[in-house]
Amino acid sequence: MGDDGLGIHVVRMLKKKIPAREDLEFKELSVGGLKLVEEILGYEKVFIIDSVDTEDRQIGRIREFSPEQFKATEQSSPSPHVLNFATALELYKKLKPSEIPGTIRIFTIDIDPDFTFREKLSPTVQEAAANLVEIITQHIEQL
Amino acid sequence: MKTVTINPVTRLEGHGKITIFLNDEGNVENAYFQVPELRGFEKFCEGRRVEEMPDITSRICGVCPEAHHLASTKALDAVFHVDPPPTAKKLRELLYSAFYVADHTTHFYILAGPDFVMGPSAPKAERNILGVMSKVGLNVGASVIKHRSDALDVVGIIGGKRIHPACGVPGGVTKAITEEERTRIEKIAESEVEFAKFTLKLFDEVVLQNKEYVSLILGETYASKTYYMGTVDEENQVNFYDGKIRVVDPEGKEFAKYHPKDYQQYIAEHVEPWTYLKYPYLKSVGWKGLVGGKDSGVYKATPLSRLNAADGMATPLAQEEYKKMYETLGGKPVHATLATHWARLVELLYAAERMLELSGDKEITNPNVRTLPTATPDEGVGCVEAPRGTLTHDYKTDEKGLVRNVNLIVGTTNNHAAISMSIKQAANGLIKNGDVSDGILNMVEMAFRAYDPCYGCATHTLPGQMPLDIKIYRQRIVTHHLRRP
Repeated sequence: MGDDGLGIHVVRMLKKKIPAREDLEFKELSVGGLKLVEEILGYEKVFIIDSVDTEDRQIGRIREFSPEQFKATEQSSPSPHVLNFATALELYKKLKPSEIPGTIRIFTIDIDPDFTFREKLSPTVQEAAANLVEIITQHIEQL
Repeated sequence: MKTVTINPVTRLEGHGKITIFLNDEGNVENAYFQVPELRGFEKFCEGRRVEEMPDITSRICGVCPEAHHLASTKALDAVFHVDPPPTAKKLRELLYSAFYVADHTTHFYILAGPDFVMGPSAPKAERNILGVMSKVGLNVGASVIKHRSDALDVVGIIGGKRIHPACGVPGGVTKAITEEERTRIEKIAESEVEFAKFTLKLFDEVVLQNKEYVSLILGETYASKTYYMGTVDEENQVNFYDGKIRVVDPEGKEFAKYHPKDYQQYIAEHVEPWTYLKYPYLKSVGWKGLVGGKDSGVYKATPLSRLNAADGMATPLAQEEYKKMYETLGGKPVHATLATHWARLVELLYAAERMLELSGDKEITNPNVRTLPTATPDEGVGCVEAPRGTLTHDYKTDEKGLVRNVNLIVGTTNNHAAISMSIKQAANGLIKNGDVSDGILNMVEMAFRAYDPCYGCATHTLPGQMPLDIKIYRQRIVTHHLRRP
């Protein structure tokens, strides 16, 4: 709800903006870890879009990561409920190396995960989302 | 009084904060588990069309959407006063059995199993699925992933999607399955039964043959006596999809057995101002605080609870394993929290056998999969056994079918009190005279992890783990600072 749903909002904005292509697929997911990795297997290039909250939070900040930047979390103790993305990806690299996408790029926008429930994004995050849509559109057009 | 606080610094996996109070001697006086996270589903669904609820509530959790989807669908059956045809019920249960196979497999091999396979004292870097594979071989890892994925394929065949299935409608399901699909599901089910048998054999070799592990399972650090709850069929055998709720007391005697729609006559919810998660308890026994025993209304709803509350399993191989488990652990009921992992594997075998039974049922491809509702909607309760506990959805609507009120008792909610008690017990065994062992984080988490808790699973996974931070104070000075980022 609210800015938590950033990824889904951005994907919907991209779907409206970019003409349909056979080599392009959009997915709206509310999953993590293993299920997230399973959803990206078999593709050549994957862009993951999500909201994040970190200790040095700057609401609306856009960042891009590669999975390698989360290597430090890979060997961490398991969550009580979900395997984290980095560990799940490493698992599948060992088990299904040919299905791992050649390129995985992770785009994030900082949010404040408050408890305000709404179906739209907050104004600051909405503006950042629009900027991110432009960035990703350029990446897609270069594919 | 000294305070030990384990406090996550992000909300990435659902919030949880553990606070441990030490007395002047440095021993544990009290421990509390607080949930500062609020999801709000019960409130923001008001005013929505009730038919949307199976799709909305399946987003409560990215790991167990099937449980919410089916509990919600059953609530719709009740709201619209419609009884689905037999094939629809069987398809729902088949989907659910497949989901159980995937979920229990994930929990054992990937989430909690590493504690046993690698050992609770193994370095953090090894205590995960990657460590497990290095010990038991890549082939086992490949088999885990394959069987998990196959089970989710079954969810996709029946539910339309592997993730967030969307087949539940009041009065039935959205589509039938073809003979070709049935054959494929049956083949998968055969393989799942063999995989479940292999998993139990692995558990026996790795855990039960290890005296240190057995001692850990049966030790006082992880034992607590409470009431136990689970859903049973007419023969009082475990059933994940439908039946009556049965509760047994700490001595194993039947305390209550009721239709899910009557849950409010038996269950009340206690509220504490310092946590958003409520404490369900047995109404007639009463809320006596975070204590166990026959005089306390605290109960558990876990895989072990389901087996404690039942008289057996409805499939033959699982029944054999059920008997073996109780014979090994000294009879019923079993109070050892870590035995939940064993119970989970007995359930894994049951779920696989049930997949095979249902996929071989002649009725399963019948095209009649829905009874259209005709009554005016008003209110209804739907209940299933989520992998982590009895799940109840209770809806009230107006005459147009717009939601007026929602009450959800989620699997883990049932166990909130018991989890707090388990954490306190684990902490009691570890923190002595102010000395804190390096293994405290993991040993406390082991108590917590056995419940496979889900505090409104967030869906963000970057980096995606529950951070823990423990500060140990003695006379207002930090003497230890243990942190997992």
